[in-house]
This record gives sequence, C-alpha cells and structure tokens, in this order.
Amino acid sequence: MRPTLVVGNGPALFLSGTDPVRMLGPFPFDPDPKQGAVRFESMGRSDLPTRLLSALESIPAGTSLAASPPRLARAVAECVGRPVASPTLEELRRARASVPLAEAALERRFFLALGHLRLERALRAPEEVLITLAREEERVERSVGREARAADSFVSVPDSPLDLHLVAWERARGALGDLEDGLRRTVEKEAKTLVPNLSALVGPRIAARLVAAAGGVAPLARMPASRIQLLGSRRRPSPDRGPRFGILYRADRLADVPIGRRGAYARSLAALAAIAVRVDAHGRRDISAELVARRDRRVETLRRRRR
Amino acid sequence: MRKGRDFRPVAGSPRLLEVARGDRRELWTETVGDPPPVYGERWTDLEDRRLRVFEPARSKLAAAVVRGWAGDLPAPGERWLYLGAASGTTASHVADLVGPEGRVYAVERSVRPFARLLALSERWPNLCPILGDARDPQDYAALVPPAAGLYADIAQADQLEIVLHNAELLLRGDGARVLVALKTASMGRHRSATGHRESAEGKLANEVALYPSVTLEPFHRGHFMVGGRWGRASKVPARESSRPTTPLGRRPGRRAR
Repeated sequence: MRPTLVVGNGPALFLSGTDPVRMLGPFPFDPDPKQGAVRFESMGRSDLPTRLLSALESIPAGTSLAASPPRLARAVAECVGRPVASPTLEELRRARASVPLAEAALERRFFLALGHLRLERALRAPEEVLITLAREEERVERSVGREARAADSFVSVPDSPLDLHLVAWERARGALGDLEDGLRRTVEKEAKTLVPNLSALVGPRIAARLVAAAGGVAPLARMPASRIQLLGSRRRPSPDRGPRFGILYRADRLADVPIGRRGAYARSLAALAAIAVRVDAHGRRDISAELVARRDRRVETLRRRRR
Repeated sequence: MRKGRDFRPVAGSPRLLEVARGDRRELWTETVGDPPPVYGERWTDLEDRRLRVFEPARSKLAAAVVRGWAGDLPAPGERWLYLGAASGTTASHVADLVGPEGRVYAVERSVRPFARLLALSERWPNLCPILGDARDPQDYAALVPPAAGLYADIAQADQLEIVLHNAELLLRGDGARVLVALKTASMGRHRSATGHRESAEGKLANEVALYPSVTLEPFHRGHFMVGGRWGRASKVPARESSRPTTPLGRRPGRRAR
C-alpha cells in the first residue's frame, strides 16, 4: 500500500504510512473551523500545513504517493514536485478506516462553516443571482397585483380610521411598487448579460424566468423546444387537452398574434428560444438579430394567414 | 399530552414510536432538536421525551414503515450518510432516529434547498450538511467517517449506480445498511414501476443481502423502498414483517390533476 494522504477528522490531514497500521497526523488545516473550511476548499500549496510538508519530505523520493480528494492530490504534487496518484478504492477505504474520529463539537462547527462557505460561493455565481432575483421579482409582482386588486374594492370615508389606514396602505403600496421596478431593472440587466440572445428573442424578464424555472442556463440549454414551450405551465397534460403555454405566454410579441394562432406561434417561438439559449450557453455569439428577424417574420405570417 | 395515548416503540427502533389515533396508527420520532417545527409537524411531550409526528405522506421513510418495512432502520448512536437531503424533512427524522450520540451527514446538491437544510442544521445537534453532488463522493469522502448506513432519496435515472458508488466508498463495510427510496418516475418510461423495482433489486443484490421491498403507495405514487445489508454473505435476520393487518395512516386524497 502506498503512503496515502486523506482528509478526515474534521479539517485535518492524515497520512497513512507504508506500514498499514502506522498513521501520521493529524495535521490540521487550521485550528479554527472557519479558517479550516476555507483552506479545505482552496487546498492550494500555501494551504497545506507546514508540519505535513516536512513529513512528506521524509518519505523517500522513489515511493509513489496517493491522495484524495483529487484537488489535494494536485496541491501535494505541486509541493513535492512529483506526480501524486489518486488512491484505489481499497487504499482509500483502508486509510479512511484508520483515521480517528473527530471531536463531535469541532466536527460540527467545521461542517457548518463549510456549508456556509460553499453556499455563499454558489450564490455568488451570476446564474444563481439571476435565478434568485427572477423568483423574487415574480413574487413581488404577484403581491403588487394582489394589493392593486384589493385597493379597487376598498372604499374609504374621510376623517375616519379607514382613511388613516388607506394613507398608510398607499404608502406601503408605493414602496412595494418601487421595489418591483428596481428588481425588474436588475433582473433585466442580469438577464441581458447572462443570456443575451434569449433576452433579445423573448424579452429579458421572460428569459430570466425561463432560466429560473429550468434551474440554470445549462439545464435550459439541454431542454428540447417542446419542454421550453411548456415550462412553468400549471395544467397537467391529459389526452384531450394539454397546456399550450407556460412562461412563454407572456413573451414579447405574443400579443401581436391573433388568438387562434398563438399556439402555433408558441411552438415556433420555443424552437427559436431553444436555439438562442444553446448559443448563450455554449457559443456566446450574438445571433439576436437573426433570431428577432425570424420571430418577426413568423408573427407576420401568422397575422396574414386566416384561421 | 392527551390522556390514554399508548405510545409503543416500533419493532427494533427505540426512538420510533407508534400510537393509536382513531382507526389508524401514527408514527412519532423522539426528537433531538428544539421547536419550532421543521415543516409544520406536530410536537408533543411524553414524560421527559419530546416527540415529533412522522407523517407518511411527507416522508418516504415513514411511508415505508407504515407499509410494513421489515428491514433495519437507523439505530441510536449510528452514523448515517443521507444522499438527497433536500431541505431536511426526512433528514431531520433520520437524525432523530440516530439520537444525540449518532450523526447524519446530509448531502444535497441544489442551492436553495441546501440553504434551508443549513438553517435546520444550525439547530439540529447531530445533522452535518454538505453542499455537494452525490455523483462525486470523493469530494465529501474526506469529511464523512465510515458510516453504518446510507439512506438515499435521489430522483435520478442512475440512482442505483450513485448509491452503490457511495456505499462502496463510504460505508464501514459488511453489515452496513443501504436504504433507497426509489422514484421510478425518474428512471424512464421503458419499464413499468415494478420493472424498475426489480431491476434495482437486481443491481443491489450483487452487493447486499436484500430486505423485502415495499411499495410506498398510496403515500408516494410510483415509489418503493428497497435496500439491504452490505455484503452478499451477511444474513438478514428473519424478523416477522410488521405488515399491518389494519390499514395504517390516512389515505391521502388524490392529487389534483
């Protein structure tokens, strides 16, 4: 069995020696769980504990080394200046089995710190930002609509507590409206940078919602047009009547198509949207002009043709 | 606690209790956490023990028990790996079952459910959340000590391969438990639900001594609980199936179309 380097026991490194029972360590990444989590995530050359590095130097140059996870193998290879393999399943199991258990409280603090770190990192990605904002925008839009409908049927009498309530409520509605406007602008800006072609074709807000419903640009790019067309639709398909639109129902220019032809338009638009998002996900070329031209041509055809 | 309620442990699991309630029986887990409820479930105090209702319509593990699951359940003091923890509804109950001395390492890939899982873990003393992909166990193998069991609820077409890969790497060895909440709807339409269950059992049987599978209908449509003990040679102790003679649990209303 090769000397195998594994992480365990919270944020610490262990080196199982050539002798299978001998175990070197722990070499903690950092005594503080938070710092330990940061170092565990980066695992660069400078993140490896110095005590571990001197232990590695004592291993004869001819011996081959193994380390898991792969990024640890890369970091160690960089430090010792020779290739570090990933361990076989058997080696890994044996090394893991001889790592002593962590102290419970320390282990937990490490897991929570690592969870927060990874979550923050994931939420920083432009795609996740867009998804989060698009969902917020949709929610706020619904509540603005709900409040507006409620306001329609609210009658107030001057100089009564009702009137006081109305004033406070209108102020709150105004603030909610401002929030929605701000959100919408941000969402549109983010969508235009993340999925420029799709945004040009269906409008940035709808593009953002499509990405949010699919769970990302890559999953949306993998979807067939027929699924994009129905993304976000509430009705379940049944033999006699299935859904025809989802989020796309509110896409740009759909309103210009006669009502009886909208199903046909939704199909073509979904096909174009599938092309657009694939280019956005992979090529990053700007084909928005061609897409918009084809879309508008399709709208014209559908307007001219009688049912 | 209301008078006259007779909580009894369900066979083999001291932290899982059942109680008669009208014509059905309810499952409760003795909790390790503090209120507020995780997902709006009911809590009660039984002398010095604190219980949470374990609803079969919400959790596939509870549905399996209600449907007469004869295999092992997470036991106090054990370390379990939980794949596909989502926001922690079932994971919190598994954590209850392993008790304060045990540990649940809960892996979840998607960001937003994980945010809720993390918030739950902050107040659930034996839950360790991991934001990671169950397809890549090397990423978290570094953090999870050899586990006594693996519970998987990952709706993926290749869920069995993912489970076996994780089990090989992360379970402590022969005798460790594998429980898979099988969602046949995400395994393709080329086989019937039963066909999927049989193929899953076939794949598992190479590595584990199988428990008898149970369907999770009517609580979860097209789902099964399959599993076994790691190591083909390990014997599943013959235990009388707790299959109910009277229906347990409420039949949920048909899903609105």
